[in-house]
Amino acid sequence: MANSGLAIACRKLTKRFGEVEALRGVSLEIPSGVTFGLLGPNGAGKTTFLRICLGLTPPTSGTAEVLDEKIPPRRVLPKIGYMPQDLAVYLDLTVGENLALFGRLVGMDEGAIKTRIAEVLRLVELEGRVDSLASTLSGGMRRRTSLAIALLHDPDLLLLDEPTVGVDPELRASFWSYFGELTKRGKTVVITTHYMEEASHCDLVALMHVGRVLSRGPPATIKERAGAANLDDAFLALVREAKTA
Amino acid sequence: MSLRRVLAIARKALSQFRHDRRTLAFIVAMPLLMVVVFGYTFGGQVHNVRTLVVNEDAGYMGLRMADRFLENITGDTLVLVAWTGTASARAEVEAGRAWAVLSFPANFTQNLRTNVTATIGIALDGSSPTIVSAVLGTLRAAIEKTFTSGGRQDLALERDFVYGSEDTRFIDSFAPGVVALAVLMVTTIFSVIMVVREKSGGMLERLFATPLRSSELVMGLALALAVIAFFQSVVVLSAVLLLFQIKVVGSIPFAFGVLLLFGIGNQGLGIMLSSAAKNELQAIQFIPLILFPSLLLTGVFFPLEAIPSAFRPFSLIVPLTYASDALHSIMLRGWGVGQIPVAVDILVLLGYDALTMLGAAVFVRRQA
Repeated sequence: MANSGLAIACRKLTKRFGEVEALRGVSLEIPSGVTFGLLGPNGAGKTTFLRICLGLTPPTSGTAEVLDEKIPPRRVLPKIGYMPQDLAVYLDLTVGENLALFGRLVGMDEGAIKTRIAEVLRLVELEGRVDSLASTLSGGMRRRTSLAIALLHDPDLLLLDEPTVGVDPELRASFWSYFGELTKRGKTVVITTHYMEEASHCDLVALMHVGRVLSRGPPATIKERAGAANLDDAFLALVREAKTA
Repeated sequence: MSLRRVLAIARKALSQFRHDRRTLAFIVAMPLLMVVVFGYTFGGQVHNVRTLVVNEDAGYMGLRMADRFLENITGDTLVLVAWTGTASARAEVEAGRAWAVLSFPANFTQNLRTNVTATIGIALDGSSPTIVSAVLGTLRAAIEKTFTSGGRQDLALERDFVYGSEDTRFIDSFAPGVVALAVLMVTTIFSVIMVVREKSGGMLERLFATPLRSSELVMGLALALAVIAFFQSVVVLSAVLLLFQIKVVGSIPFAFGVLLLFGIGNQGLGIMLSSAAKNELQAIQFIPLILFPSLLLTGVFFPLEAIPSAFRPFSLIVPLTYASDALHSIMLRGWGVGQIPVAVDILVLLGYDALTMLGAAVFVRRQA
């Protein structure tokens, strides 16, 4: 857990890709031990934000600290679990080989890798598929394998980019309840999603639109602030407000 | 650099090959196919060239030199068919049923014996330079044999082969280059495809979200590819030695080491090229870019001396030139690292390895 009590702290982050401004001065503080939802439509800048936090791409300007380490956060990378939006599973490796590779890369020993593979596969309901080639799995199973990779080393900070896409409702519910358990153990879970209804599972959310954070806080507060019945309406109201401002 | 992470990547890459049977077969079959196809198509000697002989030599004092000359045409390059009438023989060539006509005039022996210039008429289908040179070469050899053994010793060639021998075949001379070419093609293509595959599946992004460094990724992939290159080198070298009975006078393990050195540089090059390719289809487009300069500018099939001088500087920047030259010197001349040209080749290959590996580590990071 971070000493500052913040898993991620960033100030005035901007990122340009040529003419496109993906982030326009994003300042966010994400406390440790919460489930934090980054909500917004495609192109809002959610993925860019995660990639900057991981040091995969440098910001154009602004600063960020992840688990108290300035980006790029090389030293704390073994404490971070990342599930990219792309599948990012080797289809020509077995489920077990995929997991073991990432276990080795974050420095786990072989005994721990073996134990944790069994645990995380039980969690994503893929027990018994450890020796299956990923290419033989269904789309949903592949996504679950991808999530299992992010969870394998029991990281302090989980950065999950659209983890629930293509996962059936029942399993989605069990994922959310697991994320809740993780936060009870002091872990931080940052999830991007464009499904507004999923935000009800989060302790805190930030609504993003074209590279800006429109609002942040507990879901109920955001709804109240916007005078909306649900987050979808709150989001639309905030976008309208931002356009007129 | 963490050895454990390097090994984890190498192990992963090898497991990927293990699960992909078709690729595994391709790893062995492609270089083998290249060696066999190049070996048989380029290395074949010319055989059974149908040659018509119109022998009208009337002889002189009981001696017919045309007969003696014809007896001295040995080997199976030419199939001599006795024919009557120069015009009809020529018509056979015109009709494509024969490649050459040899005509001996009635006064052939007489002219020879009376020190008047004697002439053998040769009509040739010159549409194939390879056949023309095979026919003329055979005839020259017969002329030399006939007239040096016939007591006329005015001129004799004394052959002293410093390397190779009279029996050195074309394939002996280019086999080392073909081995290097096969290794070049396969190692480069594989490394381009391996990295592009990582990139297209979003894997690079995930890998670099761990403590893995780009240099560790490159080293890990290179290690796995070195294992592949090792097996491929064994396959191509064995194929060349067993199928074509190449006469190797130098050290095979040394030749093998040079091949590995070359293979490592090719992997670095492949990884660098992969930065310019977004998908496997684009990666495939690099093949001609690598293949053509390597085929034409490196002395594998034609000696460097046969390349126009304006293009020579280009030969010097194609790494295959050095690998091919080193293998040629090691395998056919029996040279070792003590001979300066081989030492230079090896230094250049070491530089190639260092530069491309460094470049690969820089480029691969940018692709995440």
